Amino acid sequence: MAGADVIDDYVTALDRRLRGPDPVKGDLLAEARDSLHDAAAAHRDRGLGEEAAQRRAVAEFGPVTAIAREYQGLLGLAYGARTLRSVMLVVPLAYVMWELNRKFWIGAWNDFDAPPPDWYLTIARLNDDAAWFVAGAAVLALLVGRRLARTTVSTVTLARLAGVVAVVAVGVSLLGNVAILAATAYLDAARLLMSPPVAGATVVSFVIALRLAVLARRCVAFSSV
Amino acid sequence: MKSDALRGHLDALLLATLDGGQLHGYAIIEALQRRSGGALDLPTGTVYPALRRLETAGLVASEWSTVGGRQRRTYRLTKAGQRALAAERTAWREFTTAIEGVLGGGPWPAQT
Repeated sequence: MAGADVIDDYVTALDRRLRGPDPVKGDLLAEARDSLHDAAAAHRDRGLGEEAAQRRAVAEFGPVTAIAREYQGLLGLAYGARTLRSVMLVVPLAYVMWELNRKFWIGAWNDFDAPPPDWYLTIARLNDDAAWFVAGAAVLALLVGRRLARTTVSTVTLARLAGVVAVVAVGVSLLGNVAILAATAYLDAARLLMSPPVAGATVVSFVIALRLAVLARRCVAFSSV
Repeated sequence: MKSDALRGHLDALLLATLDGGQLHGYAIIEALQRRSGGALDLPTGTVYPALRRLETAGLVASEWSTVGGRQRRTYRLTKAGQRALAAERTAWREFTTAIEGVLGGGPWPAQT
């Protein structure tokens, strides 16, 4: 039946234009398909044939390019919120796990042969603070985003804001990790490998930071309409 | 009524539609059209993103449930949504009273 393909074609065209987390995308498309079938059924009840009813339902739903823009904003926002929640939880957790690991296997970090220079202590302190700053920024962004969603600010704009915050937050976290690693290597490279469990925890921390960087990058990509 | 004119009021219209109880998406669209006498002319596809945004804002909640033998996502007002709707109604009444005073065509009040 030729008419039976009109809704499927529309949903497929919408699907092709959307990028984002599969569960959210699948949920949105299932709801859109349901609505189109409901509308087509209503038009059939008013006397239209199958194909005409589906064409009317699709026309009322809106041009696929315009509707895709609205749906893409939602997908970008969903991904942005998910990434910010990950940043909020994972960054401080990774920091605390690394610190506990270091305290257990190495002990007091200040126990150098000579006291570390002020610049090293500054970098260490900034790296410590970065984890909490990044988590705080993610929490704040989620709260502000929830408030802005009650205004006329579009989901596309909200998704872009979430993407920017995620990129900056993850960038600060990654920069802190790289800075303390480079500073330690410069000051006393042997310290990086003095405890295999701590070296392993450092590698895990970097893998986590890089993974978050990938998520933040996707936030920006998914919010681009 | 064109969709551009409605867009700024869509959130309030959706909240008002859900005031009577939970509804699935197409029932919301039908209720909007019925209560407006068919005057609300907006692409139905824009209603779902608006509902999801209201959900993100905590003003509505949704879940999949069986309606008429089919799985459908149904929406309902949250407490925050009820408060937001009350505020929207107050603001709308103040707005229409003010505009009616100017555009309504009645006699102008005497200048003092």
